[in-house]
Amino acid sequence: MTLALNLDRKAQAAAVVHSHGVPHRRIEEWKYSDLKAALGERGLGAVMAEWLVGNLPAGVEMFDLAQPHPPAWVMAHIARPTQNVMSAASLALSAGGVAFRVPKNSAIAAPLKLDFTGAGHVRALLVLEEGAALTLVEGVGPVDFRNVGFEIVLGAYSSLEHVRISPNAADAILVEEVSLHIAKGGKYRGHFAGFGSKLARMELEIALEGEGAEAHLSGVAVLDGKRHSDVTTHVIHRHGNTNSTQLFKHVAAGHARAIYQGKVTVAKGADGSDSSQTAKALLLGDQSEADLKPELEIFADDVKCAHGAAVGDLDAESLFYLRARGIPESQARGLLLQAFLEDAIAEIANIDQRELVRTELLTALKVIA
Amino acid sequence: MLEIKNLHVAVEGKEILKGLSLSIQPGEVHAIMGPNGSGKSTLSYVLAGRDGYDITEGSVTYNGENLAALPPEERAAKGVFLAMQYPVEIPGVTTMTFLKTALNSQRRARGESDLDAVGVLKLVRAKAKSLNVSEEMLKRALNVGFSGGEKKRLEILQMAIFEPKLAILDETDSGLDIDALRLVAEGVNALRSPARAMLVITHYQRLLDYIVPDRIHVLANGRIVAEGGKELALELEAKGYEHIVKEPA
Repeated sequence: MTLALNLDRKAQAAAVVHSHGVPHRRIEEWKYSDLKAALGERGLGAVMAEWLVGNLPAGVEMFDLAQPHPPAWVMAHIARPTQNVMSAASLALSAGGVAFRVPKNSAIAAPLKLDFTGAGHVRALLVLEEGAALTLVEGVGPVDFRNVGFEIVLGAYSSLEHVRISPNAADAILVEEVSLHIAKGGKYRGHFAGFGSKLARMELEIALEGEGAEAHLSGVAVLDGKRHSDVTTHVIHRHGNTNSTQLFKHVAAGHARAIYQGKVTVAKGADGSDSSQTAKALLLGDQSEADLKPELEIFADDVKCAHGAAVGDLDAESLFYLRARGIPESQARGLLLQAFLEDAIAEIANIDQRELVRTELLTALKVIA
Repeated sequence: MLEIKNLHVAVEGKEILKGLSLSIQPGEVHAIMGPNGSGKSTLSYVLAGRDGYDITEGSVTYNGENLAALPPEERAAKGVFLAMQYPVEIPGVTTMTFLKTALNSQRRARGESDLDAVGVLKLVRAKAKSLNVSEEMLKRALNVGFSGGEKKRLEILQMAIFEPKLAILDETDSGLDIDALRLVAEGVNALRSPARAMLVITHYQRLLDYIVPDRIHVLANGRIVAEGGKELALELEAKGYEHIVKEPA
């Protein structure tokens, strides 16, 4: 890429990939998502995946990372050093991707729609300058294997809502790492709806770097058959008086497997930080599985950190109540499943996107209820 | 309308009802009274079709049909309604959505067409007013954060909307103060009709001051041990269950 100018970083990334190899289940963070086994002989490959922007909203600047002469804002933010193997792989093994910039104090009304397609590795960068606001709608095209390395930089008092829907794709291996840096007063809202793949993993590393920075994550998954969905988050409160919330609701039927691993770190000196984590899963089949792993690491004082996880089945009493009022069993189950997911869906502020996610969930629930 | 003959019901292998017989005709209001643990709630659940209540002997016939063979939703569509002692809270489903879904499910099962949102709203509003169920309650999640009185009023509102043929009221008076009790009882009385039968299950005689039954059955240890007119309630109130239960049935 561009990365002609960034050969150092590329070489560093290649070294990380080389020393760690393809992640597998004996590595703690990949325990429930054995990428090496799923990929088999094909390995990581070195193909460039593609990206598509339907309609670039006015006021958003875009740069194709495969082109020469990147502007200064790209060079300032792209390819920060990482120890994340797959993020490093997307840098080391790809020459393509896309970068966006929303200039200072620009509030963009129309959502930016970014689709990733094709097999291989791809990079993306999104920079919101001070006071900028944007809605990012990320589309995930099903393909045998794709790895996306996404960097997001939120300037002071900027605000981003990010909605990502990962489709039901039985044979796909879809991996993505988002690395976010949020400056003082910056706000990130991320929503992740997943319908499962052979292996689907969404990984977020979020650094709250200035006073009042906020990250609010929510997600829903409805999985059937042998689908897999893994959301792995690491929120780092680097600065005091920062706030993070997480709410994930997963439903697994058949032989499906829903995973949530969420780590919150409150760094030394980040006093007065506030974080909450809730992950719940409903298992509808004897062979369905949910792995929920909330984790806390606190090195500061006067912090509020709450976390909870619960796995269960539909409430028999609620089901009987609905049926006793005339609602047929499968419809009653669907209603209860929708109700279970509802508070996570309600976290999506953008109404069009919220309704879109709700519609897709209802369709998926009809199949498994 | 309802014919219960020598009914034996077991829950988790333990026999709770031990040969209960009862017959109710359209237009009649019957009361079942009994001490805690006598099998009152078991009777209401077995009539509504809850899982885990196994009929080991005897029969329940509703309008000539074997009730036990029907799943709960079909019983509801055929006009059986159970006002529950503890209505469940369902976060994430608004009361209005629930009412609309339930009403149209019952209509569909009877081969009637769906009522649209406006039609349902009109119907619900018309019935809600007299039961003091506010618009705000209808917008809230089903029973979530409702007081005891609000929950019971919503049960009776459902009865008014669904217009069942056989209504079973399980401890509808429990947890209500006297004003709430009066409001609920008035709602029930307004639904008395020559075509509708009611079975009022209660521990206390208090409710029967307001909903006056045609016949009272006393349930103890899974059997009817005494029967009589409305005056039986007063006798129970004065002498207690022990007095009647201990007499040879």
